[in-house]
Amino acid sequence: MSLSNETVPAAGKAWASKEEFIGCVKLTDWILLLILFLVLLGSFHIHYMLLAGDWDFWIDFKDRRMWPTVAPIVAMCFAAAAQSFFWQKFRLPFGATVAVFALLVGEWINRYDNFWGWTFFPINLVFPSALIPMGFWLDIVLLLSGSWTVTAVVGAMGWGLLFYPSNWPVLAQFHQATEVDGVLLTLADLIGFNYVRTGTPEYIRMIERGTLRTFGKDVVPVAAFFSGFVSMLVYFLWWKVGGWFSTTAYIDNEDV
Amino acid sequence: MSLTTDKAGAAAKESADSIVNFRPAYLAMAALGTFYVGIRIYEQYFGWKAGLDSFAPEFQTYWLNIMWTELPLEFIAFCAIGGYLWKTRDRNINAVAPREEMRRLITLIGWLLVYAFTVYWGASYFTEQDGTWHQTVIRDTDFTPSHILEFYLSYPIYIIAGWGAFMYGRTRIPQFANRISLAFLLFFAGPFMIFPNVGLNEWGHTFWFMEELFTAPLHWGFVFFGWFGLAMFGTVLQILHRVIELSKEFEKDILAI
Repeated sequence: MSLSNETVPAAGKAWASKEEFIGCVKLTDWILLLILFLVLLGSFHIHYMLLAGDWDFWIDFKDRRMWPTVAPIVAMCFAAAAQSFFWQKFRLPFGATVAVFALLVGEWINRYDNFWGWTFFPINLVFPSALIPMGFWLDIVLLLSGSWTVTAVVGAMGWGLLFYPSNWPVLAQFHQATEVDGVLLTLADLIGFNYVRTGTPEYIRMIERGTLRTFGKDVVPVAAFFSGFVSMLVYFLWWKVGGWFSTTAYIDNEDV
Repeated sequence: MSLTTDKAGAAAKESADSIVNFRPAYLAMAALGTFYVGIRIYEQYFGWKAGLDSFAPEFQTYWLNIMWTELPLEFIAFCAIGGYLWKTRDRNINAVAPREEMRRLITLIGWLLVYAFTVYWGASYFTEQDGTWHQTVIRDTDFTPSHILEFYLSYPIYIIAGWGAFMYGRTRIPQFANRISLAFLLFFAGPFMIFPNVGLNEWGHTFWFMEELFTAPLHWGFVFFGWFGLAMFGTVLQILHRVIELSKEFEKDILAI
């Protein structure tokens, strides 16, 4: 065998062969998807934990007005931006699901390894909210309608309305009544009283705690509809934000 | 020349000419991952044993000494990476052959992979971990164990990784050297806003004795810098655009995949 130059491309060519090109494209596509996933995870997670975090960290903090209102609204930002990028640039209808899946991967790792593993909170006190059904819904509406406007109106309203029923099955057990020293409590209240957090302000600890007692009554649908309306506005805005961050513009060196 | 030598020579030649080499990125991620797992184990033990009271002598030994070590090392790493990449830059950037340019683009994707890995650890893992600590332990100093590993270690590491990726593109790839990519600039420069925000955050907590609600407005500046992670969209598009330009001859083949 001689040392031929067959693997060296002709001048001006980037690839030595079709096989090399296809193999490289497949590999780098996967790596680019991994990069997108990890960065979405990190940036969405810091966004979500600092805007909805306390309402999402604790089972007894899931206020019947605040939690179903705030959580879908702030989660909508990254779902809309990711949809904008994947749909407009690649016609891929999975932006919202990928975004919420990334967030949940980060949250579950953290709840297990840090809330439970480092600071010893029981996992049923700190599990994150379920968001995947909302992601599916938003992506399906976009896929079927192909329309930013329809997705904003129908998808975002459904996003807000789906949040509570998606989480109800896992919350239901915490409505179980229990009596402690003659006081009637839910299990959620009992957990909250036994695991006091230093970061919980007194007014919330003493006044707003125990909202699971009335959770699921008439207040939740009102909160969910309000959340859906605001999510529409957020969707419109963050679709554009996602588009703006997809800019391929350059600045001339001389302008800097 | 013997057959064996021929084969070895051909393999070496092929290896030297290989356009795809993610090995340095994988090694960097393995090293960083091992390091982060190591400090997580350290936290598990010394967070509780020596991290509860900043006035205790053991806090100085086990925690502040880490901070006084990591900060100068990070500064040196930042300068060294930027300096090395600038010093070894391609001084004839417009004469880069297509194959070499493609190799550099793939190396840049390796840099971005390492950057993305560090973004995960900093923005997701160590940031929410800080929440668990504050909800458990009363805040007594700006330099709690979780801050020493979050603000002053994992955030700088991902700033350094982003800086390295940006400088690699700036010094070796024509499209990023001849003009400045707005998306790439935002992607790597956004996290720099952490520093003024950490300053505001710590000042606010100390001055107002705030409770550790994670959703407190004092923390919203961190959200703002997190949004700049979305600029990876534009960065990825620009890289793909150039790959497509360099691969026109295989356009039909890629559509058939």
